[in-house]
Amino acid sequence: MPKFVLDGIEIEFTQGQTIMEAAKAKGITIPHFCWHPELSISGNCRVCLVEVEKMPKLVIACSTLASDGMVVFADSDKAVSARNAVMEFLLINHPLDCPICDEAGECKLQDYAYSHSTGESRFVEEKVHKPKRVPLGPRVMFDAERCISCSRCIRFCDEIAKDPELTFVKRGDRVTIETYPGRELDNPYSMNVVDICPVGALTSRDFRFKARVWELSSTKSVCYGCARGCNTEIWVRNNEVLRLTPRYNKDVNSYWMCDHGRINTFKFVNDPSRVDGPFMRHNDNLIRAGWDEALSKAVSVLKHYTKEEIGFIASPYATCEDNFLFAQFAKNVIGSKHIDFMRHYDHSFGDDFLKQDDISPNSKGVELVGAVPGKGGLNFDGIMAAIKSGRIKALYILEDDIVSANPEFGKILSKLDLLIVHATNFNKTTDLAEFVFPASTYTARNGIFVNFQGRAQRIRPAASTIEQDRSLDGMSLSRLDKFGTQYDSWATGNKRDARSSWKILQALMQLYGIKQKYSLAEDVFLDIAKNIKTFHGLNYEIIGDQGSLLNLVVPETAVKV
Amino acid sequence: MTILQLIAFTAVKILVIFTMMMLTVSYLVYFERKISAWAQNRLGPNRVGWFGLLQPFADVFKLALKEDIVPTNANKTIHTLAPMIALFVAFTTYAVIPFGPDVTMFGITVPLVVADVNIGILYVLALSSLGVYAITLAGWSSGSKYSLLGGIRSSAQMISYEISMGFSVGGVLLFAGSLRPVAIVQAQQGWMWNAVLQPIGFITFLVSAFAETNRLPFDLPEAEPELVGGFHTEYSSMKFAGFFLAEYANMIIASALIVTLYLGGWQFPYIESFGLPAGLVAIIQVLTFLVKIAFLLFFFIWVRWSIPRFRYDQLMNLGWKVMFPLSLINIIWVACLIMIFNL
Amino acid sequence: MNLRRRKKDLTFWERIYIPEIIKGLALTLRTMFKPKFTVEYPEVKFIPPASYRGRPVLVMEENGKERCVACGLCARVCPPLAIEVQAAETQDEKERYPVKFEINMIRCIFCGFCEEVCPEEAIVMSKDYELSFSSREEALYGKDKLLTPIKQVQDRIDFLRHYK
Ligand code: SF4
Ligand code: SF4
Ligand code: SF4
Ligand code: SF4
Repeated sequence: MPKFVLDGIEIEFTQGQTIMEAAKAKGITIPHFCWHPELSISGNCRVCLVEVEKMPKLVIACSTLASDGMVVFADSDKAVSARNAVMEFLLINHPLDCPICDEAGECKLQDYAYSHSTGESRFVEEKVHKPKRVPLGPRVMFDAERCISCSRCIRFCDEIAKDPELTFVKRGDRVTIETYPGRELDNPYSMNVVDICPVGALTSRDFRFKARVWELSSTKSVCYGCARGCNTEIWVRNNEVLRLTPRYNKDVNSYWMCDHGRINTFKFVNDPSRVDGPFMRHNDNLIRAGWDEALSKAVSVLKHYTKEEIGFIASPYATCEDNFLFAQFAKNVIGSKHIDFMRHYDHSFGDDFLKQDDISPNSKGVELVGAVPGKGGLNFDGIMAAIKSGRIKALYILEDDIVSANPEFGKILSKLDLLIVHATNFNKTTDLAEFVFPASTYTARNGIFVNFQGRAQRIRPAASTIEQDRSLDGMSLSRLDKFGTQYDSWATGNKRDARSSWKILQALMQLYGIKQKYSLAEDVFLDIAKNIKTFHGLNYEIIGDQGSLLNLVVPETAVKV
Repeated sequence: MTILQLIAFTAVKILVIFTMMMLTVSYLVYFERKISAWAQNRLGPNRVGWFGLLQPFADVFKLALKEDIVPTNANKTIHTLAPMIALFVAFTTYAVIPFGPDVTMFGITVPLVVADVNIGILYVLALSSLGVYAITLAGWSSGSKYSLLGGIRSSAQMISYEISMGFSVGGVLLFAGSLRPVAIVQAQQGWMWNAVLQPIGFITFLVSAFAETNRLPFDLPEAEPELVGGFHTEYSSMKFAGFFLAEYANMIIASALIVTLYLGGWQFPYIESFGLPAGLVAIIQVLTFLVKIAFLLFFFIWVRWSIPRFRYDQLMNLGWKVMFPLSLINIIWVACLIMIFNL
Repeated sequence: MNLRRRKKDLTFWERIYIPEIIKGLALTLRTMFKPKFTVEYPEVKFIPPASYRGRPVLVMEENGKERCVACGLCARVCPPLAIEVQAAETQDEKERYPVKFEINMIRCIFCGFCEEVCPEEAIVMSKDYELSFSSREEALYGKDKLLTPIKQVQDRIDFLRHYK
């Protein structure tokens, strides 16, 4: 393999790699603003200037192909002083906005100003003023003064979103970004420009001024919005989910996620409509009850029905663990074969990039863990028909709002004698229920989602429920979480009395005399791995941050993004 | 004098001395705080009562209201006993200190001393050695390392300094030829005070007295920076008050003893030559005694706020290598004086 | 290691202590008659100089608005985490302002770091040292208690500009 030397370190590369790419593959980052591994090379920020032996001038590492025997210096005096000079130029017209800038704390320009700049400006003249607070689109805000003209956002729209909307206008120090006339930055992936913008020029209107990033804790998770299961980070402060950002996974979503997933999949977590504690119907009203009371009442009511009269609706919104235990409960404890789940498809949602028509995160997982009709059992439509005909009198729904998905079901469900629902929020289905058990949201539990490719991916608790303790349960802690006490309003955010569905089901099964006891979600998963062939040999650690592709009968090819 | 009269007079004397002691102790605390404040350009207590004169009572009130904490590991009996021993020793010592000449009242001659014992000095030395028990027991019974260290230090310190104290007193006894405090006082006629005749003995006795009362610069048993509170770390409320009182009562005793042994006791030099009536003379003499004590008490406090605490090794060095030889030299000195002047 | 020993340069008179002790006693005795420095507090109030670090306050501009832009730096730097800031958008030129600014005066240690770090000169240490509360809630100083007209803290601001 050909090699070159960077600051005394030998780096192997393949023909056609640039110095920047080869160094990055070795784990060395050469400072850069405009270069992005998934975008074309633009080479305009000049921060990556390096010195190459026998070359008369400095070259930019991002576009210079590595060649065998090259000797490159990123730390020589010449390279360093060039970098300092570039930083000084970049900062000449950059406003002193950090105090009001949402990017502060995760800003490349700030970081480099510390590490690659002399820390002093010789520019005493008035800075160029440009428009601030320009809404480029419904979700993105632009501040022209902060822009360093790296063109990442333009290239993203052209190359990744395939929807050219942005362009440079004007020249010299007046150059700025605009949308094409009559256009808005509103493609379904537009908010990714917020992440890739190295400075605070493009910021999220949704997250605008909500919090400073250093106050947040981040937890690795998976998006809830569709069957793609983009890898995400959940950012939480004071037990409130404030934003989601994409997390790199080369096989699933690369660096990106869609705007729908980013904005719409966490709002319900903080919503006042959350179910807080178990509820039982009493004279047409849902009344808050204690756990023991609700559980034992539910069991005693369920016992009035024969196994043929009870139907079970699993949920593609719940984890594999929840559905596995739900299937166990239906098939082994009650003995019913009528278990299925509702498929949620939205054919206007999917596209040929990330978004999938299946708008639930775990339908594949539900099938795999066996929450499907047993031999001779009714499928979803069959269950609905049986309710209509009166054959099924009791229904147990796991975390799915089927009535909102299809209002017709409302009429059908009202025929039921008994409806038990696990739900995170009150919704049209809980309106019909006799028992509502509070399920914790996907931001507060451990578990596995299987995406459409058959990749098992972990979700982790980011916001806590009443029974969780951030530090004891190993959740990620922000500084505020670490040092807050019960007297600090900034450390005592709203916590709900909710549980993972598998825990609720386990409590029910114990009332049925089942001895099996899991203490962690991982125990349930280990049981799944033992009993279901597809999951053999897996555990949470192996699945890790990047997920594991399951050994499916017909493996779907990993899409290239 | 009948037995009954004897008992009556003694009872009155005890009562007078006891109340005087209690009052003096409380105001001693007040003055300690005032003088320390003055020495540091401060005002000192001035809120409770006129010029803060009711401060001592506020202090006592506060102490009495405090919770009495006894550590779990403490030996309860001894823990309670220790402050009592301290108080008992402090007050009983006073029995043999004469605070005035004999006075004649209603045809009866009353000596102004509770008990005119012929081995008075021995009695004082014996009792003050008992005082070390209070501190050592307090330190040991508290079940705390700080208390224990404080207690051990104090026994070492007291025993060391008792030697030089004893030898210093030796010189005085040689002059007076008696162990009776009254006789010792009478032996210091005019300006023939022992402090003048044997200055070395006076200094060694003074220093030893500081050490025996655990006052700065010798307050190692309770050295706050090292031992929290030393032997009384684990004491609170009235038990702590007991030690507190005892410390100040000991100061008074020490002052009275110094006055008796070295500063001519109740004598006002050459007062006989003024030809005053006997009653007035007696009163002046009692006052003289009080003034001398007051000055010494002031001196105690003054020294405390001027001189820093000794280190433990320095304390031992001083005791054994300086004070002890000096007190021996003093005896030789006195012996020479007696030989030469045939006193 | 080169241990420095103390030089044994005490003279004979110093070594016998007594004159030195007498000197010390004389010093304290002299001091006893010197004027006292005690300020008799509740009756006589101590008015601190500009360098004094009393309770931190928010500067209120002449137009009645706070200077603070809710950057959260003071909250970040505050060693005992006494400050809580929540930003929000304003139509003013400065874009953001604190909807909530709370200092927990039980936590505050009067270190002045908040004042030092503030990029807007929006929080300064006042001369107020009279703080007492009878409940935890009372000790939470919100914007209502923190906002102080700039005139009252002008000398502190001048002091900071001069010495920073
Ligand atoms: S873009 Fe970065 S450097 Fe510029 S104001 Fe924002 S945080 Fe500061
Ligand atoms: S807005 Fe951001 S990403 Fe776009 S050119 Fe400017 S600095 Fe680069
Ligand atoms: S540092 Fe200053 S501007 Fe920033 S939040 Fe604190 S007071 Fe406001
Ligand atoms: S003075 Fe110090 S402790 Fe008090 S609020 Fe400011 S930074 Fe926090």
